[in-house]
Amino acid sequence: MTVPGNSTLGPPLGEPVEVGVRGVAWERVRADLTEYGSALIYARLADLQPEVPDGAELRGLLGRDWSRYLDLAHPDVRNRYATSRVLLKYAAGAVLRGDPDALELAYGPTGRPYLRGCDQIDISLSHTDDLLLVGLTTRGLIGVDAERIDRQMYGSGLGRHVCTPYELVTLASLTEEERNPSLVRLWTLKEAYSKAIGQGMQFRFTEFGFGPDGKPVRVQRPDGTAGTGDEWAFRTFLLDSGYCVSAAVYDAGFGHVQDTDITTMLDEDCVETIASALEEEDARADAPRGARGPDRPKDVEDPDNGAQGSSTGRADEVSPPSRTDRASRTEPH
Amino acid sequence: MSGPDSLDDFLGVIRAELGLDLGVRDVDTELVNIPDWDSVYLLRLVTLLEERTGRRVSVRAVLEARSLGQIHALVSEAPPAETPAGPRI
Repeated sequence: MTVPGNSTLGPPLGEPVEVGVRGVAWERVRADLTEYGSALIYARLADLQPEVPDGAELRGLLGRDWSRYLDLAHPDVRNRYATSRVLLKYAAGAVLRGDPDALELAYGPTGRPYLRGCDQIDISLSHTDDLLLVGLTTRGLIGVDAERIDRQMYGSGLGRHVCTPYELVTLASLTEEERNPSLVRLWTLKEAYSKAIGQGMQFRFTEFGFGPDGKPVRVQRPDGTAGTGDEWAFRTFLLDSGYCVSAAVYDAGFGHVQDTDITTMLDEDCVETIASALEEEDARADAPRGARGPDRPKDVEDPDNGAQGSSTGRADEVSPPSRTDRASRTEPH
Repeated sequence: MSGPDSLDDFLGVIRAELGLDLGVRDVDTELVNIPDWDSVYLLRLVTLLEERTGRRVSVRAVLEARSLGQIHALVSEAPPAETPAGPRI
């Protein structure tokens, strides 16, 4: 299977990091995100599930996914759903240095997950058997997928629905023992790419392909010619536990974000405006009573009384947040 | 070519070929509520049904199905394939 980092195309990507809800592995995840702009995280369902809270705490973590969780009838399906979302939220919380409870997962028209209000990070989720896999990137888009490397695919007729003509020829040229793992690799690459572009299987897998293992990987047209350039990176890893893990990362070209901390990803103009308003407010509070102006409504003078000044369109009539809750009341971009 | 036109035959294919222990009680269950069901099983089922019925099944339509019962209905209505399926890969 692919040796990590063998591809010379696209942005780099570190090896998947195994994590629990807590632990030192998250430091490595943050380091990967800083160094590569992307990180891959995985956990075993059996290891993570005991750490997943229940009741009100789980409801708080799942947020809007709570009702979906309740709709799932089968206990195994529910548990995996909850555990995968909790992992995703802890992963996002770790790299954004934010509270996982406060992060809201939302879904696009094709079911693609994203973090509402945190578009500096793109996320992707995959689970199979007892493996949960999360991809994070600050570069643009990411899609991830995993399958057991020994899952039987070749010879089951799947190739006709999965492979391009070029891939079918390439697979047929391999030795018999190489064919199934190679098809599993192709499958995970296709899933990862189609997730990254938000299409899922609506984008027919026979309409795009990938070259053989061991060479720089890029999307190919059905005839095997190149379909994407250096803006995309594809990596496949084989975990010791027998899973084939693939990731597709799109570099949107906005540069490498070094600091993903949720509090430093705010819109600078917005922060400047708020800070300026707060300074004016402080200056007024420190000034002698007569210098504050004759028409100032009394309720604006006390930010803690909960009153919002009467609205006449003047910026200084709006009660600003107190210093202690400034960060928590400011919406991130 | 004979095929799983009846629901029992259809479920028999799922049990025998996919190894999933599903029966009549599961026909109207949402696919997301069937443990282990995933896109690989879905495509394998499409492949099996095409081979057994000689009909071309629309993957796009099957992707929109929410239950096994809906997939069975799609297969029953599918037109005959214009070309026979190729070798099993």
